[in-house]
Amino acid sequence: MMVVVYATMSLALICGWFGRRGLAVALLTTCLFLSIGLFLFEIYSPEYGFRMPWIQSELDRVLPSMRAART
Amino acid sequence: MMSARDQPMAARRLLALVNYTYLLLVMFVIAGILTTAMSLQYANGELPCPLCLLERVAMFGVCFGIILNFRRGFSYQNTGFSLLFAIVLLVVAVRQTLLDIYPRPGHEYIGSAIFGIHMPVWSVIIALTLLTAYAIKLAILGDDEFLREVDVGEFPVMRKIADILGIYVIALCLINLVSVVVQCGFGECHTFGYKLLQ
Repeated sequence: MMVVVYATMSLALICGWFGRRGLAVALLTTCLFLSIGLFLFEIYSPEYGFRMPWIQSELDRVLPSMRAART
Repeated sequence: MMSARDQPMAARRLLALVNYTYLLLVMFVIAGILTTAMSLQYANGELPCPLCLLERVAMFGVCFGIILNFRRGFSYQNTGFSLLFAIVLLVVAVRQTLLDIYPRPGHEYIGSAIFGIHMPVWSVIIALTLLTAYAIKLAILGDDEFLREVDVGEFPVMRKIADILGIYVIALCLINLVSVVVQCGFGECHTFGYKLLQ
């Protein structure tokens, strides 16, 4: 997949350079959507989904002590 | 305040020169960053992770808009492409930073730190700098109808430098393509080693 992303970007740059603007923009758009798809694939975890619980876990540890301090 | 359209031709020419110099500088800086990243990859054996590779793609995307501005004349559409990929760079870099922000097994910042800052955090800074630079440029040179009247061809030296830099950026992208084929093959990318060399 990453190969396709780089291939479309390389072709877009080459087409843009040689003045094939329409084709270059089409390739760039393809590259953009492939990149977004690949990004979502890479950050998706079967365990967490798209969440980032390792950040909340720190908050979980802090929150009880904050609550205790208020009461 | 006098708008750019009401200004004499010499002033418009100067504003166009400032604009093209700005674009050239942005492309120069991005080319420098990509060269540094690739030097670290080949000289120090620091393999880029999938998100790092996507960040490089986003930087090439920013350059695409600039190259088109030099090759096919100034257009806001080209500026739009650059801004779009600057946003992609920001989103990917922020997510990658958050991924490794809390130390846990198997998750630490990849690669060596430069001035104490790791690559994903640098990418956030680069993306924010790009967006800020574009915002400042639009705020200062906003009414830039003059850019369509003053072609880059009127500055032959700048045109030549932009052509050389454009070819260099395309060459970097092609080298990255070959590198990605060797590292990832046609499957998923990993940082364990170059798949085709194992």
